[in-house]
Amino acid sequence: MQFPILTSLVVLPIAGAACLFLVRDDESHAPLVRNIALVVSALVFADALLLWSRFNAASGDFQFIERHAWIPTFGISYVVGVDGISLLLLVLTGFLTPLALLGSWESIQRKTRAFCIVVLLLESAMMGVFISLDLFLFYVFWDAMLIPMYFLIGIWGYERRVYAAVKFILYTLGGSVLMLLAILSLASLHNAATGSYSFDLQKIYALQIPPSQQGWLFLAFALAFAIKVPIFPFHTWLPDAHVEAPTAGSVILAGVLLKMGTYGFVRFAFPLFPDAAAQFAPYLAVLAVIGIVYGALVAMVQPDMKKLVAYSSVSHLGFVVLGICAMDTQGVQGAVYQMLSHGVSTGGLFLVVGMLVDRRHTRLISEYGGLKKVMPHLVAAFLILTLASIGLPGLNGFVGEFLILLGVFRWSPPLATVAATGVILSATYMLWMFQRVNYGPVTNEKNTGLRDLSPREWAILVPIIAVAVLMGVMPNLFLRPIEPSVNRMLNQIHAVAPVRVQVSHQPPAASHQPPSSN
Amino acid sequence: MPSSLNAIVPMACVTAAAIAAMVAEAFREPGERMPIGPLGIIGLAGAAIASIALWHHNATSFGVVAADKFGLFVTGILIIIGVLSLAISAPAIERERLPQGEYYALMLFALAGMMLMATATDLLVIFLALEVLSLAVYVLTGIRRDSPVATEAAFKYFLLGAFSSAFFLYGIAFTYGLTGSTRLDRVGSLIAAQAMAPTPMQLIAVGLLIVGFAFKVSAVPFHMWTPDAYEGASPAVTGFMSTGVKAAAFAAFFRVFLTAFDPLHAVWWEVVWVMAAATMIVGTVVGVAQTSVKRMLAYSSIAHGGYLLVALVSANDAAKGAVLFYLLAYAVTNIGAFGVITLMENTSGDRPNDQIRDFAGLWNEHPALAALMTIFLLSLGGFPPTAGFIAKWYVFTAAVNAGYYWLAIIGVLTSVISVFFYLRIVVMMYMTPSDTPARFPLVPRIAGAALVVSAVIIVYLGVLPARVLDWAVASISSIF
Repeated sequence: MQFPILTSLVVLPIAGAACLFLVRDDESHAPLVRNIALVVSALVFADALLLWSRFNAASGDFQFIERHAWIPTFGISYVVGVDGISLLLLVLTGFLTPLALLGSWESIQRKTRAFCIVVLLLESAMMGVFISLDLFLFYVFWDAMLIPMYFLIGIWGYERRVYAAVKFILYTLGGSVLMLLAILSLASLHNAATGSYSFDLQKIYALQIPPSQQGWLFLAFALAFAIKVPIFPFHTWLPDAHVEAPTAGSVILAGVLLKMGTYGFVRFAFPLFPDAAAQFAPYLAVLAVIGIVYGALVAMVQPDMKKLVAYSSVSHLGFVVLGICAMDTQGVQGAVYQMLSHGVSTGGLFLVVGMLVDRRHTRLISEYGGLKKVMPHLVAAFLILTLASIGLPGLNGFVGEFLILLGVFRWSPPLATVAATGVILSATYMLWMFQRVNYGPVTNEKNTGLRDLSPREWAILVPIIAVAVLMGVMPNLFLRPIEPSVNRMLNQIHAVAPVRVQVSHQPPAASHQPPSSN
Repeated sequence: MPSSLNAIVPMACVTAAAIAAMVAEAFREPGERMPIGPLGIIGLAGAAIASIALWHHNATSFGVVAADKFGLFVTGILIIIGVLSLAISAPAIERERLPQGEYYALMLFALAGMMLMATATDLLVIFLALEVLSLAVYVLTGIRRDSPVATEAAFKYFLLGAFSSAFFLYGIAFTYGLTGSTRLDRVGSLIAAQAMAPTPMQLIAVGLLIVGFAFKVSAVPFHMWTPDAYEGASPAVTGFMSTGVKAAAFAAFFRVFLTAFDPLHAVWWEVVWVMAAATMIVGTVVGVAQTSVKRMLAYSSIAHGGYLLVALVSANDAAKGAVLFYLLAYAVTNIGAFGVITLMENTSGDRPNDQIRDFAGLWNEHPALAALMTIFLLSLGGFPPTAGFIAKWYVFTAAVNAGYYWLAIIGVLTSVISVFFYLRIVVMMYMTPSDTPARFPLVPRIAGAALVVSAVIIVYLGVLPARVLDWAVASISSIF
């Protein structure tokens, strides 16, 4: 039997968490606990890279499929597999988790063992979400993931942590229960069509769902994902959760969790219900554009750095949703790229902000100023990540936004135009924040004696910046596995729904020709 | 043993243990400790062996008790409830200085009544079983004789219970008048043979029986006794009656309404639909406002009754399997939760420790107990990977397959609201520092083991439910 590499991505963190239970829970063992957790998460990352190296990037089909009966009476099985889209999200999850642990190395001083266990369980559930190809299994991971995140925010967060944690879990749960009913209805439809229940995604893809039924099913899925992304106006849980979460929580929340929402659109909502998707995509796109501009404007006036980065996420994720709504190769490819890129740059920003907060115990921009003279290395890293987030060419943020705008422009020039202002606005709020924090004279004397990067912090920032640059200068490395999968998904949508995009001529770059069959 | 007695062997074992417990109590010197609890365990073990032996045989006794798979599945749930309840009762008996022989005997008699109720196929026998279990539970509720709260709870429960029994009996009388029989199969076939349009007699009979059952399963608007009785009784007793009485009553409710009154489904589904919706909504919304953990769990148990009623309305194959799985999942979860409350009372202090804020800082004082309580609460809230999630999923599958979308939507939304109040305890345990000096709950080994077993069952049913689901599915094919 082949080595079950996907299952190992889920099991390895759980096994690591189980190991941690064997270590004595007192503060003298905290370093040991942290090291074990770090090693385990690094192993998971290595596992994800191994997966990438063995992945056949030329194919858009699901690979490494494992299939086991789970609850056979109801057609529920353990089916996991990856395509190019989920592959890179798995790698992203594996990449960010060790960094999140490293970023919390010194700031988490109580209940270290429980903290590491929770982070590893969270990683396991996130991996599970991205590999599930059975709707029931997907829902199980989707919901199970809430619990560790809830504890992460609620126990190790800042002052209003309980409020933020409860708000986070109730919002997300409230959105997803209707999706549960939609999933049950899909299984029921499968039963009506074939005589047996099934939650297997690939079988349900093949199902011809009557357009009259697609509407509410799509909306039930879309609500769950829209809250998770979050799309305006479902975003109000996000600033609270991001701000109150500890650094590791913010990194994972911004880096991975939000992508589950956009991933849900790409994997489930759009391909399962193409007619409804075609019908609702314009509305979704308008909400996304509102989110882009609104998120940017609100970010501009934030006095709190974490809140600013949180609202910038609303804006950046708006681009992702917009790209998906365009439903053409560039748009969706750009959206997937932007998911990865946002994970890297925003994850990095939260880590940098976390380093500042570790030193000064405040998130307020007005408490800082002139840090460049005090901590030149940290500020240099801060600058690179800021520019990456803005979308400077040569760094990761540019590629995704450019592809998205390209795709959207062909679909709807007005939407693309308004969305493009978001790029300018993001430069405004990010650079303004950067300027107030880092330039000028050192106004607050508490800032004078701050130490520059420690070796641990170097170890966090170097990989992040390396990946940001790599994604900026060699986008094809990442686009290559994405493209066939995106084309397969788009073929699936357009095979049923009428092609909505009015393209007068093929784009000059003919490299994105969709394959003739999948 | 003549074969016609086979079907009652499980309850005979339990009854024998109950009688033995009473005799032992009579010979007990004041203050002397006697292993009466283990006596009950032996009886329940006998019942378990008998149930397993009877599994494939569809035995019947006297034509009114049927040890079919449905009844035996519920009997199995009741045996689990019994074992766990006996195990977590010990600390409460010690602390409150309760008469242990009487306590165990009443619990075992109640269990025998519940088993009879789950397997009875005659309305009069169901009534008999109902009275056996009710009388025992009334007394158990008020067994703390020096506590005014407990006495009030028992009295309230008794009065309203007696009242509902009258309704139930009256419903049986009308059914007899209608069909000339009280046997479920005869009633069913005679009703099916009667005219299609529902007659007033039929409506009255169905209505009275619904009231009788609704009281026992504490469905809104017949739920008023529940919070008071649950709060007044000792938590170990509450855990027992909130699961055992509910399991037995729902088993009989399902059997009666999906066999004898199945031909009248078109008549009663709307009533039960409204009752299910009201029960889920009232249970969760009022639950949010509670400050006492016991009252909160009382409303939670009302709400869970609502989900079971959703299954009853749906009345398809999925529903019948769902109710069995749900009762099992709910039983282990709720007994676990009340077990933790029992242990919380078991501190050195003299306060009952049953307010939500009393759980503050439990994680620091007793991390294992806090972790167990978290598993129970997550299961009550229906989070994967716990039994509560699979149970809810199964019920909603039944509702969606039967086309009751709105009921399913009310169900999922109320379950989100319920998560809010379950999480309040989690917030207290993990995220709020204790405001009183540390009160380490003393965890006796047996009670602790019972809680661990409950948690293991919950996680097992949540992760690998296939086998038990198949048993549940097999159980329903035998009778409906």
